[in-house]
Formats: sequence, C-alpha cells, structure tokens
Amino acid sequence: MKDAFSGYHPLVNFLYFAFIFLFSMVFMHPICLGVSLISSFIYSIYLRGKKAAKFNFAFLLPMLLITALVNPAFNHEGATILTYFHTGNPLTFESMIYGVAAATMLASVVCWFSCYNEIMTSDKFVYLFGRIIPAMSLILSMSLRFVPRLKHQIKVASDAQRCIGRDVSNGSILSRARHGITILSIVITWALENAIETADSMKSRGYGLPGRTAFSIYRFDARDKNAITAILILGAYVLLGGIAGGLKWRYFPTIKGRMGEFYTISLYLAYVALCLVPVIVDRKEEQQWKATQLKI
Amino acid sequence: MKIKITRNKIIAFAAIIALLAAAFWYGGNAPGLQGWNVSSDSEDGGDAAVVSENAGLTDEEETEKHKQEKNDDSDDSINNENEEKSDKADTTAEEENGAETDSPEKRGIETRPGGAEAGLSADEKVNLAKEISDAEGSSPGMVKGSKEYSQSEGMSINEETGKDKYLTDPVPEGKPLPVEPQDIEISDTEYKCTLSVRCDTILDNIDWLDPEKAELVPEDGVIFPSTEVTFYEGESVLNVLQREMKKAKIHMEFENTPMYNSAYIEGINNLYEFDCGELSGWMYKVNGWFPNYGCSRYQLKDGDTVEWVFTCDLGVDVDGYYSSTGQ
Repeated sequence: MKDAFSGYHPLVNFLYFAFIFLFSMVFMHPICLGVSLISSFIYSIYLRGKKAAKFNFAFLLPMLLITALVNPAFNHEGATILTYFHTGNPLTFESMIYGVAAATMLASVVCWFSCYNEIMTSDKFVYLFGRIIPAMSLILSMSLRFVPRLKHQIKVASDAQRCIGRDVSNGSILSRARHGITILSIVITWALENAIETADSMKSRGYGLPGRTAFSIYRFDARDKNAITAILILGAYVLLGGIAGGLKWRYFPTIKGRMGEFYTISLYLAYVALCLVPVIVDRKEEQQWKATQLKI
Repeated sequence: MKIKITRNKIIAFAAIIALLAAAFWYGGNAPGLQGWNVSSDSEDGGDAAVVSENAGLTDEEETEKHKQEKNDDSDDSINNENEEKSDKADTTAEEENGAETDSPEKRGIETRPGGAEAGLSADEKVNLAKEISDAEGSSPGMVKGSKEYSQSEGMSINEETGKDKYLTDPVPEGKPLPVEPQDIEISDTEYKCTLSVRCDTILDNIDWLDPEKAELVPEDGVIFPSTEVTFYEGESVLNVLQREMKKAKIHMEFENTPMYNSAYIEGINNLYEFDCGELSGWMYKVNGWFPNYGCSRYQLKDGDTVEWVFTCDLGVDVDGYYSSTGQ
C-alpha cells in the first residue's frame, strides 16, 4: 500500500518533520517523550510494516534499555538515594529516570529519522532547497542517501560474487574474510566513481545555473493547504506553549514539573495530534477509497 | 575546477564572516568590550537608582555593605593595579567592581561570574584568579609552601616544576604532608575528629544560585552541624566525609582524578560545583588550614577539626584563597 502523506506537497512533509524533530529533541517532558516514542513507532510500523517492527523491537528497545542503564553509572545527582555503588558514589532515583528519558529521546529520534527517509526522498529535498542552496542541497541529498544506497550496492556486489563462489558465505574463515574485503573494495570503488559521475552529470545538465528551471510534479492543492494549516497551527501552539513554560520539567535535584494542569494537557493533546497527522491523513484516504469502492 | 566568484558569493561570504564575528563578540571571547557587559551594566545602573530609594531588603544590604568595606580597604591597590593592566583585565575588573558597588541590592543570576550559562574557559578562570590575587593577594593564613620543610619531611619535589609527581606544591611549614591513599593501611584504632559541612556563603550570593537548587540550601547554611565523629587510624578526610554523609543520608558525589591521585568533591547535598557561579565549589579545611592537596590525601590525626565549606569566588569568601603568583 502506498501511503497518502508522501503524496502531499514536499513543503508539507518537510514542515511536519521539522516540527517533529525539533520537539522530540528539545522537550524533556516525560509525557512528550512518551508521545514522541509511541507515535514514531506507530508511524514507522505503519509505513514499513514488519521490517520496521523488527528494527524497533529488536534494536531500538534494547538500545533504549542499555542507554537507560548506563546513565546512573556516571551521573550521581539527585535527592533520592537508593543505594551506593562500590566506588562510594550514590545511585539515585533521579539519575535512573533521567537515563530512561534521555534514552527515550534517542530512540524516538532514530525512529523518526527512519520515517523521514521513507517520506522525504532526495528529489523532494532538492525540489525544496535546490533553488536556494543548490550545491548544499545536492551534497545533503547525496550524503543522506549514501548509506541506504551503499547497503543496496553491497547486496548487488555480494550476489554477483556468490554466483562465482566468492561470497562471504563460501569457504574457510580466511577466504571468507578475503571475499568480504574484495566486496568492500568493489563497493568503495563504485561509491567514489558514482559520486564523480553524479556530480558530472548534474553539472552537464546545468544544475544550479541561474535562470534554469527544474521539472517537478508537485502541486500545492487544497488538501495541502488544509494539511499545512493544521500542522502550522498545532506546531505553533506546542512551540509557543513550550516557550511559555507550559511543558516545564526538571529532573535534578528532585523530579518536578507541570503535569495535570489544563493548559499542559491541552499541549499534550496538540502534540499527539501533530505527531499523528500523517497517520490520520492515511487512514482518511483509505476510508475514502473503501467508501468509493462500495458505492460501485 | 575553477570556482567562479560572483557578487552573490561575495555577499554570502561577508554575511557569514559578519555572523561569526558577531557570535564571537557576543560569546565574550573577544578582547575589550563584550556583548553582555554593555547591557548588564546599564541595567545594573538603572536598578540601582530605582531600588536604592526603597531600602527594604536587609540581608542583601548587609552583605553588600560588608563587601563595600572590603572593597574600600583594597581600593588603593586596585586603582594602582588597574592602570597597568591590559584591556581585558580592565573590563573584567570593572565588571567585578560593578557587581559589588554599582548595584547595591538586586543582582540577577546573569551578574554572577561567568554568567547564567557555564561560559568561562579554563584560561579565563586563571585570569580571573590572577585578578583576585592582584587585588587582594592570598587570604590571611594562606602561607606559601616551604620547599625545604617539605623535602626534609620526605616529599620528593621535581626541580623543574617545583611540584611533586602529583602536581602538588610544597606544603607550608608545620603542616602535614600529603599521603598516597594506596600506601595507607587503616587499623582498628578508633580516633575522634570534628566534622561540619556548611554552605552559608550561598546565602550571601543567593541570586547567583541556580534557581532549581534554591530549595536545597538550609536557612542557616548548615548542612551537617559540627559533630564529633569516630574514625580509624590512617583514614583520610574523604573516608570520614563519605561515612558520615552516608550515615546522615546526605547526598555526596566525588570523582577520582588520577593526575592528582586524589578525590575531588563535586557536590554535597546536591549542591554542586558551579551551581553558584563559575567560581563556586566545595573546599575543606583542617584545623583552620586549607590544604593545598586533595581530601583523600589528607591523613587525619586524633582530635582534628574538619570543615567543609562552599565558596562562591575561588575561596576568597571563606578566607581560603591561595594565590600562586604572589602574596
């Protein structure tokens, strides 16, 4: 199934992720972190299905637990002393909670980036920023795409090598290692050559020259207008609330912050709505599709 | 490949340079006038004019008076020194005086040394330390170490640096030498010493304090009242502090620094170094003397008095400032 949100105008997509990244990296309020983590899991699973679920639960969750455990080993601040380490420094409740919070932030940002890669393809990025910062946007889109492309190319090279019995799965440990290094060398050569080729090809097409237009299939429709208004209103509300201190929270020396006030709860709700904009858009699209099918 | 230089590129380059220069200037690393000085000075002036009319604040005033007196005493020396100092030193000195005399009552957290954010580099702190030492010298009772005495007592001092291998200066005459914790054997013999932990200097500089920590400061500034405690022969100041804080359920964090072969107390009762400005932190004195080495290298004797005090300006306010450059 193709998701509906990626069919929206690139500006809508970019604005959404800009707000999401900003909020997930800045807000240390536990409710905000929880909202961000859960909705990033929901959205990534919605976008990529089983693969995302596997990545989230087999890699992100263990990473979250490890980072949460590491923090109290180095950070001993906090008023609630639980016990003492053998070095003599205290283990505090606050440092444990802070570890969980920081780890949640890390995991949710990683997960959001996997969604970002799915939605903001490099052509959208170049479409948005190609005019303003041509060289920068080309470099950015090339480097952001580098790891997935390299991974793909490694698979291609290793498949080809397997046909002639020289894959990392063939032979003794020593020859496996040798084959692995050969594949690595092939892929690195490809990457260097490919970078030069891309640059040359863009140059020969006159990329970034003044007065040159670029073909694009993006139109700013009424639905884009609605989506961008919703994102802007929700984002601005949460942002202003954050600046005004509505999401104030501190971890040290004692855990304290705004939690159950009406204003703060309204900010949570706005944040949840903002995080789930693409999921809502997709669900609506799906329902419309099904409704039209039934009418026929 | 040739890079074409267009007008837009030159403008962009100039804009980037201007932005970096502005950031550098605003960040306070530039010599001479600094961004935040200008605004805070004028604010202070305005505040002073308004607030000095309604003299209602008592605590603040008294400490300020005290500071002004102290300032008057050393005024001559400051003025003489000021003329010889470089640009940078001058501005910092002015800022210091400004904080102490120009604004008699209200000082925000921005006026504390280093500002609200941790902004001072190590170099700047050393310069600030020089500033203080030039103006007032070491605190009374802080005597320069005697190399002959320290060597005769068995301290091995490097001829080039004038310090021992853990970068400790010679110890003043009649004071105990540092011991290395790893060589010490602790016996079962019980001794008594007196231990106290205080932070009353924070009360004098309460507006320098991190607002999140205000609730931690006791009203009288006493975290652990002067108490006679038991320790075992061979134990260091750190051992005693650690045991008593654990017993009293007071938070305490320290860090071992291999370079000085010693422990450094980062925070007691969640009041950490730098919580009351960039020049704040914990210091200890034994029988009235601030040792020039770490607390895990000070071996206690029976009947010693150990005091832990919090300083807000490198030890000047607790009479424990030691100037390494001169007396």
